[in-house]
Order: sequence, then C-alpha cells, then structure tokens
Amino acid sequence: MDNLFIAATERSPEVTFDSAVGTLRIKGESYPEDASQVFGPIFNALQDYLVQAEGKALKVDFELIYFNSSSAKALMNMFQMLENAADVDIVVNWQFMADDETMKEFGEDFSEDLEHVTFNLVPVS
Amino acid sequence: MSEDTGKGGFSLFDAEERILAGAKSLLERMAGGDPQLLSEVGTLADAYSRSVREQRRLVKVSDRLQNQMTQLNQELARRRTEAEEALEKLRQAQETLVQTEKLASLGALVGGVAHEINTPVGIALSCASHLDDATKAIRVLFEADDISVDDFERYMDTAADTAKLIVANCERAADLIRSFKQVAVDRTSSERRTFRLADTIAETVTALRPNLRQGGHEVTVVCPPDLVLDGYPGALSQVLTNFVMNSLTHGYGAGACGHLRIEVEPMGDDWLRLRYRDDGKGVPEEFHNRVFDPFFTTRRGSGGSGLGLHIVFNLVTGPLGGTVVLENSPGPGASFLLEFPRVAP
Repeated sequence: MDNLFIAATERSPEVTFDSAVGTLRIKGESYPEDASQVFGPIFNALQDYLVQAEGKALKVDFELIYFNSSSAKALMNMFQMLENAADVDIVVNWQFMADDETMKEFGEDFSEDLEHVTFNLVPVS
Repeated sequence: MSEDTGKGGFSLFDAEERILAGAKSLLERMAGGDPQLLSEVGTLADAYSRSVREQRRLVKVSDRLQNQMTQLNQELARRRTEAEEALEKLRQAQETLVQTEKLASLGALVGGVAHEINTPVGIALSCASHLDDATKAIRVLFEADDISVDDFERYMDTAADTAKLIVANCERAADLIRSFKQVAVDRTSSERRTFRLADTIAETVTALRPNLRQGGHEVTVVCPPDLVLDGYPGALSQVLTNFVMNSLTHGYGAGACGHLRIEVEPMGDDWLRLRYRDDGKGVPEEFHNRVFDPFFTTRRGSGGSGLGLHIVFNLVTGPLGGTVVLENSPGPGASFLLEFPRVAP
C-alpha cells in the first residue's frame, strides 16, 4: 500500500501517512479554499488502509494549530470513519499547546462520539 | 448537491448525501403505501435535507468569517511591524541627534578654550619679544663698551620681570590645556575611573569660563575637597556643562549677570547630593514636567535643540545610576537636584 506525504502550504497542513507502520500525522494549520481537496486524498488513503487493516493498529497524531469550519467538518468525517473501523485498534493523539484552551476544547468535542477509538488529549509546551 | 464537491472529487457531506439518497430510495419503495405514513416520512426527509443544506451554508459562512479574521490578523501584524520599524528609526534618529549634540557642545568647549589660551600665550609672546628687544639694545651698548651700571641694572630688572611673566603665563596656558584635555578625554572616552569630584567640577568650570565671562557670570562651587568617586567623570562634566549652558541660554537677559552655584554634600556613606542652582528667570510652572523630554525647547527658532536636559537625564539615570529632578525652588532661578551613588553601578 502506498504511503502518503503532502507538504504543508500556507493554508493547509503537512500530512504524513505511513501505511507500513500504521501512523498518520496531520500537522500545522488548515484553512484551505477547498477542504475536500486537502482532505480527499487523506480520506482515500485512510479508507484503503482501514479496509485491509483487520487486526492491525493505527496511530493518528493531530498537531493542529488552527483550522476553519470546513476543515472541522472534514475532521469529524475522519473521526466517524475511524469510529466505524471497529476491527482496527485505533489511537488518536490530539496535541495542543498547553495554553491553547480552544484547541483543547475542540479535542474534547471531537472525542465525545468516539467509543471504539482511544482518544488522548496531549498538551505540549 | 454537487456544488460542494471539490476538485478532489470528494464531498465533505458525503455521508449526509448518501443518507439523503437512501431516504429518496425508501420513499420510492414506499410509493403506493399508506399515504399518511408516506407523508410523515417525506416530511422527515425534507427536514433532514434542509438541515444538511443549512449545515453547508453555516460552514461556508463560518469559513468566510474565519478567512476575514485571518486577513485582519495579517493586516494587524503587518501594521504593527511597520509601526515598530518606524519607532526604531525614530529612536535611532534621536540617538544620532543626542550624539551630535554632545559633539557640538564639545566643539563649543574647544572654541572657548582656544580663545582662553590665546590671552596667556599672547602675553608670553609680547614679553618674550620685549625681552628680545631689550637684549639687542644692551648688546649694542656692551659691544660699543658704552654700558653704564644703570643701563645694566635696568636690563636686569626687565629680564627678571618679563621672565616671571613668561613663566606665569605659560603655566596658565599649560593649566588650561591640561584641564581641557581631561574634560575632552573624559567626555569622548566615557571611561570609568576613580576621580576627585572637586577637580572634575573645577576643570569643567574652567573650560566654561569663556562662556561665563561674556555675561560676567560667576560660579560658586561648594564641594568637599577630598571626595573621591568611582565612575564616569565625563558624564558628570557633561551634565554640569549642560546645566550651565541651559542657565546662560534661558536664565539671563542681556546685561544680567548671573550667580550659579554647584553644591555637593554626602548623603550617608554611599550617596551624594549635588544641587545646581542659578538665580535667573527660572522655569515656568507649566514646563516643569517636560524639561527632560527630548526635543522640548522654548528656543527652537534661536538654536535650542531641546536635547540639553534630556542628555542630563539620560546620563544621570544611566551611567551615574542616580536621579535628577527640577526642584520647586522658592526663590528666583532654577534648581536641579541630583542624587547618585559614589560608586557608579
């Protein structure tokens, strides 16, 4: 299965997906003109991985500083996708700057509907 | 519902669209069934469809607002950078002006001292030339073997008197040069050293004498003679010079002769109090809290730079590590009070 790397732009995050190890990292800011263009390739890669990942694990690291509403919608779609993959052992690490209360609250909101996914709030400084 | 399907061929509302498609197919499959049930399910499907449309609109509106905010933040950051750069330039310009002003006051000192040295050098020169003439005359008499005891005695007196005058005036010139040299070195090097406060004050006053003499002004110095400080004599000398020049510029009209006073007294073992006072026109009440501001001057048109007392403030609070205030003196004139440590920080 292919790995995925998308470099960051001024308005979109850096994406690193290593399918061999089972890690996905999304890092930076996200307020693109077209959120589906940015998140579409991630969804596709994730979908492919989850279909074939039975019994495997996936670690997802979010290191976001800022995102807009369509990115938030895309993230919710992604969480739904992860939640539905009940056969895969999934851990989400939601990193936020220790003094960024807003980003912490977003993490708490996103984790509300998750039952099968282990969701960690990770403050960093 | 393809409007939000982006170039990636992926819809953010993919899941919702699939549910809507499912609802549509359910309604088709229910066609011909219970009309009441059909109508209720139709209403639900419509409500969900509307809710999804509203979600899309909300996301769009919210994205637009966030974009605006981002742009505003960038604009704000840009303007702040501009303002900070402008402020930095202004500070540099101010710093340059302060340096220029310091050099200009040193230049004025050079001019004054050159003038001051002219007098003793001139006297010494005319004495020497008088002695030369007298020597030539006595030589003529001596060679003609026509010299009387009176002639010789008169020549001896002349030689003794002129030699005494030459020595005294050359010493005076040397003194002036020495004291000016010290002031100039201190002023330009801003080096730290231990110094006798009374000497520094005396040297500074000497260097200012040409300016003082023009208006017939007098300076009284009261300072313990053996008070030794560790710090920056150049800064102190500059402070006193600026005080004096400030008094001479603002304090006295034409023909008025001023009495300036520099008084030093210890405050405990480690601190000193230096009061500078003149008996001129004084500082109007409304200017009291602005005299130390840079570029504040009432004499812009006639050459005031507005930096003299600002430099005083910087030197006293900076190198000297003390404080300076303009006192509300009861009598006439202006009075400045400095308090600073014997050992500069």
